[in-house]
Amino acid sequence: MIINILVFLLAGGLPYYLLLEKSDKFSSKSIFVVSGSFLLSAVILTFFIDKEHSTPFVVISFISALYSIYKATKTTNFYKLAYYFIFMNAPFFMLFEGQGAFYSLSLLVSLLGLYAIACFYEKHYGSANYLYVRGITLATPLVGIHITVYLICIGLYPPFPNSLFFLTYIFNSEADLLWFIVVITLYIGNFLVSMKVLEKSIFGKTNPNIHYVDFNFKEKVTHFIIIILLTLLSIYGIREILLWVL
Amino acid sequence: MEKIILLIPGIPIFIAFMLFFVKTKENIPRVSIVLSSMIALLALSGSYYVISNDRAITGFNGLLIYNELSAILVPYVAILGLVIRKYATKYMWDEAGYKRFFILLNFIFASIYLLVMSNNLIVLALAWQLMSVGLYLLVSFNVGSQTAVKNARWTMYIHKSADFVFLLAVILTYQTFGSFDLVVLKEQWLIMSANPIDDPMIFAVALLYLLAAMMKSAIVPFHIWLPYTSEAPTPVSGLMHAGVVNVGGILLNKMAYLLILSPMVLNIAFGIGLFTAVFASMLMLVVPDIKRSLGYSTVGQMGYMIMEVGLGAFSLAVYHLIVHGIFKASLFLESGSIIKYARKDPHIPERLSHKTFEKENTKYKSSKTFKLIALFTAVPVFVFIGAKAILSPEFFEFNAAIIILAFAWLTGAQLFLSFFKVSKLDSIKAIVGIISSFALVMFTYEYIGLALEHFLYGKDALLFYEAASLNITFLILLVVFSFIMIIGGLFIYKQHVVDVAENRDSAHKSKWSFYKLLVKEGYYFEIFNSSKKGKL
Repeated sequence: MIINILVFLLAGGLPYYLLLEKSDKFSSKSIFVVSGSFLLSAVILTFFIDKEHSTPFVVISFISALYSIYKATKTTNFYKLAYYFIFMNAPFFMLFEGQGAFYSLSLLVSLLGLYAIACFYEKHYGSANYLYVRGITLATPLVGIHITVYLICIGLYPPFPNSLFFLTYIFNSEADLLWFIVVITLYIGNFLVSMKVLEKSIFGKTNPNIHYVDFNFKEKVTHFIIIILLTLLSIYGIREILLWVL
Repeated sequence: MEKIILLIPGIPIFIAFMLFFVKTKENIPRVSIVLSSMIALLALSGSYYVISNDRAITGFNGLLIYNELSAILVPYVAILGLVIRKYATKYMWDEAGYKRFFILLNFIFASIYLLVMSNNLIVLALAWQLMSVGLYLLVSFNVGSQTAVKNARWTMYIHKSADFVFLLAVILTYQTFGSFDLVVLKEQWLIMSANPIDDPMIFAVALLYLLAAMMKSAIVPFHIWLPYTSEAPTPVSGLMHAGVVNVGGILLNKMAYLLILSPMVLNIAFGIGLFTAVFASMLMLVVPDIKRSLGYSTVGQMGYMIMEVGLGAFSLAVYHLIVHGIFKASLFLESGSIIKYARKDPHIPERLSHKTFEKENTKYKSSKTFKLIALFTAVPVFVFIGAKAILSPEFFEFNAAIIILAFAWLTGAQLFLSFFKVSKLDSIKAIVGIISSFALVMFTYEYIGLALEHFLYGKDALLFYEAASLNITFLILLVVFSFIMIIGGLFIYKQHVVDVAENRDSAHKSKWSFYKLLVKEGYYFEIFNSSKKGKL
C-alpha cells in the first residue's frame, strides 16, 4: 500500500504542480525538473518492485490528468507544457504498473527534448513561450524538425517509442471500463495537445521582427543524444511488440 | 532470393535518410528518382514471381507478404510514385522546403507499401498510423498559409479518428479470433463462412473496419478533409487522390473474408457508398474551384468503390481504385496547365450556374437519326449483359448483379451520350463506330475485371457476392432498376437530344434551391460553423 502511494505521488497522480506554481521559489523550469525526477524515480522503483494497480489511485490520477489536459491547452510555454504532459500520462503509469514504465521512460525522454527546446527558446528568444515565435519550419528547419519529432512522439505516432509501448500494453492487457476510459482519454488528450502546440509553434509565416537562431554545436549534440535515445527505445519497442506478436 | 522484394517498404525510408545528407538541390530528385525506379523494378519482378509461380512471398516471420493483392497494387503505387517524384522535380523547385518535401514523400510511400504488404494486424496498424502523420505533414507543407494549416488540422483529426477506430478493431479482432496473422485469420474466416453465426462481436469488428476505411477514404460524412486539402502542392494532391484515399479499399479487401461473416456490414457499406457516390458527384458539378471539384469527384469515386465492396465485388473495387487513381493523378498533374489555359480563355471552365439560370441560346441541331438513337440509353444494358453473359454467366445468380448493371448502364449511357454530343455527326457510320467501340471497351473492361477477380480471389469471389446479396427479390430489384432507367433515360434524353427552349430568362425556383444546396456543399460547413461559433 505504501509503495502504491509512493508510486502514485512520484508518477504525478496528484497535481502537486498547483502548489509549486504558487511558490516563488519554483520556476516552471524547476517544476519540470522536480516532476521529471520524481517520474524517473517511480520508473526505476517499478523496475525493482512488483505491484498491482489500485483502482482508486487510477481514478484520482485520471481526474488529475483531465485537469492537466485542460491546463496544457491553455499554456503557450514549453516548460509548463512539458510537466503537464507528465501529469497527463500518470493514469497510464498507474494502470499498467511495471509494464507502463517503458512508456513513461520514453515519454520522459521526449519531454527532455521539449525541455531542451524550451531552454533554447529562453536563451535566444527571451522566454520559453512559443506563440510569437512562428515560422520556425521555414526559418530554422532543424529546430522545426526536432519540435515536430518530439511532439509527434508525444502525440502517440509510430515509429516513435511512446506509440510502440502504448500499443504493446493496450494489446497485451485485459480491457474493462476504466481501461477504456483511461486509454481513450490519453490517446486523444496527448494527440490534441501535441497537435495544437505543433500547429502554433512550427507553422506560420516567419516574423521579420524576430532574429531567428538555429542550434549551435552544443545544442545539436544535446538533441542528437535525445534522438539517439528515442531511436534506441524505438528499437526496443519494436522488439517488444514483435516478441509478443510472434 | 525472391525475399528481397519484401525490402520494398524499407527503400523509401532509406532514400529519406540519404536525402538528409544530400547537399546539392539538383541531386535531391535524382537520388529519389533513381532509387524509386529500383522499387518499381523490384515490384514488377515480384509481381512476375507471384503470377508465374502462383504463390506469395512471405518473410520477416510472416509479418510481410507479397501476395496477389500486393502484386497488383505495389507496382501501381511504385510507378505512381515515380511519376509524382518526376513531376515534383520541376514543380516544387522554387518552393521553400524542397528537401523536406522529398523526404516526407518518401516516408508516406514507405507507409503505403507497408500497408499493402502487411500480413499482420499490428504491422498494418503501424503503417495505418504512419500514413496519417505523413499525410498531415505533407498537407501542411505550405506552412506559411493559414488555410493550409487549418485544413491539415482537419485532415489530421479525421485520420486520427480512423487510427483510433482501427486500433479498437484490431484489439477486438484479437480478442475474438485470437490472432494477428492475416493468413491465419483468413483461413479461420473462410471456415466460419461455411456455417455463418450471428455474433454481434463479429458485426462490431467488421463495422469498425468499415468505419476506419470510410474515414481514410473520405466517405460522407468524413469527406471534409479531401476537397479542402487542395491547397497542398499539386504532386501531394495527386498522391492523395490516387494513393492515400485508396487505403480504405485496400483495408476492406484485406478484411474481405471477415466481411462475408457479417452481411449487414456489407449492406451498410453499399448504402453509404451509394449516397456518397451520388451526393459527391453532384457537388463536383457545381463547386467553382477546379481542384475542389476534382476533390469531390474523388469522394464520389470512393463512394462507388465502397459501394462495390458492399455488393461483394471486392476485386472490382481494386480495379476501380487503380483505374481511378491513374485517371485522377493525370488530371491533377494537368490541372496546373488547365488553370493557366483558363486564365487566357474566360469561357473555361464552363459555368454551370450561367448555363442553367441565364439565357440559353445554344440550340442543338438534333436529327431524326439521333432522336431514334434516344433509345440508345438501352444499348449499354445490352452490351453489359452480353459481356457478362459471355464471360461470367454465374454472375446473374446474385442480386448484386442488377445493381452493378444499373450503374454500368448509368455510366455507359452518360459516356455514350457524351460521344454523340461531341461528335455532332449524323451518319450511320458514326453511330456504328461509337456502338462498336463502346462494346469493345466494355468487353475489355469486363475481361480484365474478371481476370483480376480470378487472380485475387478465385472461386471465393462468388462467396462475396452471395454474402452481399440484399434481402430482396431479384424481381423487385429489376422493377426498381427499370424505374431508375426510365427516369434517367428521360432526363438524359432531355438534356442531350431535345431542343432547348429559348428565352428562359427567369430561373426555376426549385432548380435554384437545389443548385444552392449543392453549391453550398449540402450546408455541411454552415451547420458546422454555427455549432462551432465560426471557429472552423
